[in-house]
Amino acid sequence: MKKIFLIGWKDVTLAFRDRAALILMLAAPFALTLGLGFVTGRFSGSSNTGVSDIPVVLVNQDGGQIGNTLVNVFQSQELASLVVPTVLDNPALARQEVDADKAAAAIIIPAGFTASVISGAGTVPTQGPATTGEVVQLVLYTNPTRPTSVSVIKTILDGFVSQIEVGRVGGQVAVEQLLSHGLIQGQDAARIGGELGLRQANVAQSSKAIALKSVTGSGEAVKFDVLAYMAPGMALMFLMFTVSNGGRTLLAERSQGTLPRLLVSPTSASQVLGGKVFGIYLTGVAQVLILILASTLLFRLNWGDPLGVLVLVLAAVVGAVGWGLLITAVAKTPGLVSAVGSAVMLTFGILGGSFISLDNMPGWFRVLSKITPNAWGLDGFTTLGMGGSLANIWTPVLALLVMGAVLFTIAVLIFNRRGIMQQ
Amino acid sequence: MKKIIAIAWKDTILRFSGWAEWLFFLIMPIAFTVILAGGTGPLRDSRVRLVVVDQANSPLAVDFIATLGKSAAVRPEVLTLGKAEDQFAQRQVSAVLIIPAEFDLQHLEQGNVQLELRQQPNNMNALVAGRAVQAVISRVSSAVDIASSSVAEAEKIKPFASATARQAYFDAALKEAQTQMSAAPDRVTVAQGATKEQIEYDPRANSSAGQLITWVFIPLIGISAMFAYERQKGTLRRLLTTPTQKGTYLLGTIIGQVATALGQMLLLVGFGILVMRLNWGHSPAALGVMLLASTLAAAALGTMLGTFVKTEGQANGLSMMLGMVMALLGGCWYPSELFPEFVRTAIKILPTSWAMQGLLDIVLRGQGLSAIMLEAGVLLGFAAVFFVIGVWRFRYE
Amino acid sequence: MPAILEVHDLVKKYGDFAAVKGISFDIKEGESFSLLGPNGAGKTTTISVLSTLYAPTSGDALIGGHSVAKEPMAVRQFIGVVPQDLAIYDDLTAGENLSFWGQMYGLGGTALKTRIDEVLEQIGLADKANMRIKTYSGGMKRRVNIGVGLLHKPRLLFMDEPTVGIDPQSRRAILDSVQDLNRQGMTVLYTTHYMEEAQELSDRVGIIDHGELIALGTQAELTHQVGENDTLILRLGELENAAALAAAARSLPTVLKADVSDHAVTIIAPEAEDILAPAITKANEIGVKIRSVELQEPNLEAVFLHLTGRALRD
Repeated sequence: MKKIFLIGWKDVTLAFRDRAALILMLAAPFALTLGLGFVTGRFSGSSNTGVSDIPVVLVNQDGGQIGNTLVNVFQSQELASLVVPTVLDNPALARQEVDADKAAAAIIIPAGFTASVISGAGTVPTQGPATTGEVVQLVLYTNPTRPTSVSVIKTILDGFVSQIEVGRVGGQVAVEQLLSHGLIQGQDAARIGGELGLRQANVAQSSKAIALKSVTGSGEAVKFDVLAYMAPGMALMFLMFTVSNGGRTLLAERSQGTLPRLLVSPTSASQVLGGKVFGIYLTGVAQVLILILASTLLFRLNWGDPLGVLVLVLAAVVGAVGWGLLITAVAKTPGLVSAVGSAVMLTFGILGGSFISLDNMPGWFRVLSKITPNAWGLDGFTTLGMGGSLANIWTPVLALLVMGAVLFTIAVLIFNRRGIMQQ
Repeated sequence: MKKIIAIAWKDTILRFSGWAEWLFFLIMPIAFTVILAGGTGPLRDSRVRLVVVDQANSPLAVDFIATLGKSAAVRPEVLTLGKAEDQFAQRQVSAVLIIPAEFDLQHLEQGNVQLELRQQPNNMNALVAGRAVQAVISRVSSAVDIASSSVAEAEKIKPFASATARQAYFDAALKEAQTQMSAAPDRVTVAQGATKEQIEYDPRANSSAGQLITWVFIPLIGISAMFAYERQKGTLRRLLTTPTQKGTYLLGTIIGQVATALGQMLLLVGFGILVMRLNWGHSPAALGVMLLASTLAAAALGTMLGTFVKTEGQANGLSMMLGMVMALLGGCWYPSELFPEFVRTAIKILPTSWAMQGLLDIVLRGQGLSAIMLEAGVLLGFAAVFFVIGVWRFRYE
Repeated sequence: MPAILEVHDLVKKYGDFAAVKGISFDIKEGESFSLLGPNGAGKTTTISVLSTLYAPTSGDALIGGHSVAKEPMAVRQFIGVVPQDLAIYDDLTAGENLSFWGQMYGLGGTALKTRIDEVLEQIGLADKANMRIKTYSGGMKRRVNIGVGLLHKPRLLFMDEPTVGIDPQSRRAILDSVQDLNRQGMTVLYTTHYMEEAQELSDRVGIIDHGELIALGTQAELTHQVGENDTLILRLGELENAAALAAAARSLPTVLKADVSDHAVTIIAPEAEDILAPAITKANEIGVKIRSVELQEPNLEAVFLHLTGRALRD
C-alpha cells in the first residue's frame, strides 16, 4: 500500500511541476471563469441580468395621444436604466441607425395610429357593419445581431399594445352593454367610451385577478449569479484535461523507460498501476480544490455546505479518472491520448452543460449528457450552491462513483489485454 | 518559391499525420456549431421550453395555454404533475407552471386565483419564462377586469335587479371582452434590419460565425507550438545550415498554416450554407477579405506567441487557453450584446471581437465589402504588429 | 591539393565564456579529418561555427573559398551537416524526410527523386523508405540523419559525434559508410571522443581540449610525440601513497617519466614489459598495493594523457 502512495505522490509532484500542464490545469479554467465574470457583468456590480441601456430609436409621425404616450413610456423613469431612447424625425434615418448597429431597434409610429385604434378599424364589432379602413401598424425595425435586446423591446411594446387593446375593448364592451341595456343614449356613447377606455387602460397594468407565485426549487429567491454556475462548469471541464494528461504520462513513462524500470524493481504491476491511478486521482482533487478555493476568495462565490462540496469533489474526480483511464487504455500513444483527451474535454464540456444550459436541448441530448461527470457534478454543485447539503446530493455522488468504478474496470481489462503493464 | 511550398507541405503532412487532427479540424467545429445553434434547420424551435401542468382542464385553462403557445418567447408543453416535478428536480426544464384545479371563470370572477411558477435558480430561461407567463396573465385577466368594470359602470347608472341579472351582465361582458381581445388586430409589424430577404433571426448564424473563429484561431495560435517543436527537435537548427533563408522558413511555415486555415474555414462556411442554410455566400469578396484578414491576424499572434514559449507542451496549452478566452470575450460563444457596456468597449483590443463583427456583418446583416473594410483593416493592423514583434524576437534555438 | 577548409584563429565566445579560443587548421580536399576531444572540449561549437550556425566572435574560416562569416549561404550549399542529435521529422517517412530536406537544398523534380533513391540505397533503408521514422530503431534513425546530409552531394561533410549511444552493429555500419564516402572522394570532418574511431577513420587528427587545438597532425606524428615509448599505468587504492611509488619508479632504469594522477601512477618507458616486474617489486617494497595494471602502446589516448594529464574519456 505504501508503494502505491509513494508512486502516486511522485506523480502529483511531477504534475504540479509540469508548467505546460499547469496552464490547462489551473490557468485556463481560472481565466475562463474570469472572462465569464466579465462578460456577464458579474464584476461590474450590476444586479440586472446582463442586458441594460438598450439603445432604441423612436419616430412619432402620429401626433395623436397614443403615439405620444408610447414615446413617453420609453422615456419614463421606470425604463430609464433599461433603455436609452432617442427620438428622430425621419424613419429612414432611424432604420439607418439600426443597420449601423447603433440601435437595437427602431419603433416607427406612423401617422394615423391613434385614429386607427379609436376608429376600431380591423376589429369585430358586436353590432353594425365592420369598420372600414386599414389597421395602421407600428413598425418595429429590429437589429438581427442583438436578439435579446430586441426581445426586451418587443416585450415592452407588446405590453403597451396590450394596454391599448384592453383600454379599447374595455371601453367598447362597457359602452355596448350599456347601450344594449338601454342604460345610456347613443350620443353619449363616444364620450363615455373614451373615459372608460382611459380608466381601463390604467387599471390593466395592475390586474389582480390572477396572481403569480414564483417559487424556486428551494423555496427562496436566490440571486441570479451566473458565476455560481460557470465556475464549477469550468473546473469540471478542465478536470477532464488533468485526468487524460495523467493517462498520457502513464504511456509516456513506457517510452521514457521509467515504467519498465519500475516493473523490474520488486513492485508488482498492480501496485504500479494502482500508484499511477492514485496519483492521477490526487492531482485531480488538488486541482478542483485549488480552483474552488481561488474562486471563493477572489470571486466571493458561495459553493455551499463544505462537507457536501468535499464529498462531491471526491466523487466527481472518481468519475473523471474512470474516463481518463479508459481514454488511455484505448489510445495507443501519448500523443493520441493528448489529442483525444482534449477533444473529450471540450465535448464533455458542452454535453455536460458547462457552456449552455441543457433545458432547451432535445431529450436525447440530455440523456447523452448523463455519461459525463460534468453533468452530474454540475447538478450536485448547483444543489449545494442553492443551500442543499450532503443528503441532497446522494444521486450525483453515487452516479459518479459507479461511473468511475465501471470505467476503471473496463480500462484495466483493456490494459491487461494490451499488455501495457508488461515489458 | 518552391521552398516555401515544400515547407508548407511538410507542415501539412506533419499536422495531419494522425487521424486525431481531423477531430479538431472539422468534426468538432461542426458538432459544436450544430449544438450551439440548437439544431440545423429552421424547423427547430428555439423558444424556451415551459412545462405546464393543467389541473383545471377548464376552457379558461385551455385558453391560457393556447395564448402561451402564441408567445414568441416560450413553448409550452403540457405534462402531468409527476412528470413535471421529475423533470424539474433533474433540472431538465427551467420552469414549470402549475395551473390549479380552481382555474376557471367562476373562481376568476371571485378574484385571487393563484398560479404557481417554479423556476430554476440562476437560470436565464426561467426568468424569460416568468416574464412570458406574466404577459399572458395580464392578457387573460384583463378580460375579467373589463367585464368587472363594465358591471361597475352599469351599476353606477342603475343598480341590478338581482344577483342573477348581475351575473348575466357579467357573463355577457366577459364573453364580449374575450371575443374582442382575441380578435384584436396585429398592431405591430416586425421588420428585420438590412437583410435582402425576410429571414427569421438565427442564433445559428451566431453559432456558425463564432465557432468558425474559435476553431480556426486555436490552431493558428498553435503555430507557436510548431516553432517550439522544431526548436526542441533540432530540425530548426538544421534548417539553418541549409541554404534556406530565415525569411523563407518563416513565410513557408506561416503561409502553410494560413492556407490550411482558409481551407478549414471554407469547409465550415460550406457546411453553414448547405446544411444550415445560412447566408454566407452573398458577397464572396467580403467573405474572402474577412477570412483572409482573420487568419493573418491569428497566424501573426501565433508567431509572436512562439517567441515567448519554450516547449511544445506549453505552447499547446497556451494556444488552447488563449484561443478559448479570446473567443469567449470576443462574443463568439455568447452574443456580445449581453455584455456590459464597458466590457463591450474593452474587448475591442481583441482580434476575435473584430473578426466576429465582420463575419456577422456578412452572414447576419447581409452587408458587403464596404461594410467590413474597417474590421478587415483592424485585423490586418493586428497582423502587422504581431508579425513585426514575432519576427524581430524569433530565436532559432 | 588545395585546402578545402581553412580555419584562421577562430574564436567563439558566449558572453564571457570562450568555448573556442582561437584555433587554426586546414583540411585538404579528399582528406578524412577527425577532431578528437573529451566532452565539453568545444568540438560541437567549432562545427556549429563552421556550418554557419553561429557567427564567429573573431577569426574566420574559408570553405571552398567562401568565408563563413561573410558568405554563409554559399558555404551552406557547399557543406553537408550531420548533427549530433537527431534532426529529422518523426512523423514523416524516410522518403518524405529526404524529399523535404532535398528541397531545402534546392533539389527538385526527377533529380531529387533519383538522389533520394541513391541515398536510400547508400544508407540501406530502401525497403523501409515508406515507414514513419518513429517506427525505426535508434540505429536506423541515425542512418536517416546521415542520409539527409548527403542528398545534395556536398564536397565537405561535417559529422558531429554520429555514433554516440547506438548499438555496435549500427556503429560499425556508420563507420564503414564514412570510409566509403571518403574513398569516393568526399572530404569528411568527423568529431568524436572515441579514440578508436579517430584512429580508424582519419588521415589527420586534431586534438582539442578546453577550446584549444593542442595537437594536430597525422596519427604517426602525434604518437611520435609520446615517442616510441609505452605507457604503464598502475592504479592504486585511494589510501595508497602514489607519490612515493612514482618517485620509486623514477629511480628504475629506462623509466623516462612517472606521473601521479587520480590514484594512478603513469610510467613512460621504451618497453613497458621490461619495467613491469620491477615496478611491482618496488611497490611491494614500499608497501603500496596495486589494484590494476594497464599497458598502453602509443596511441592517441596516450597522446592526450601526455599533453593534458587527463584521460580522454571521463
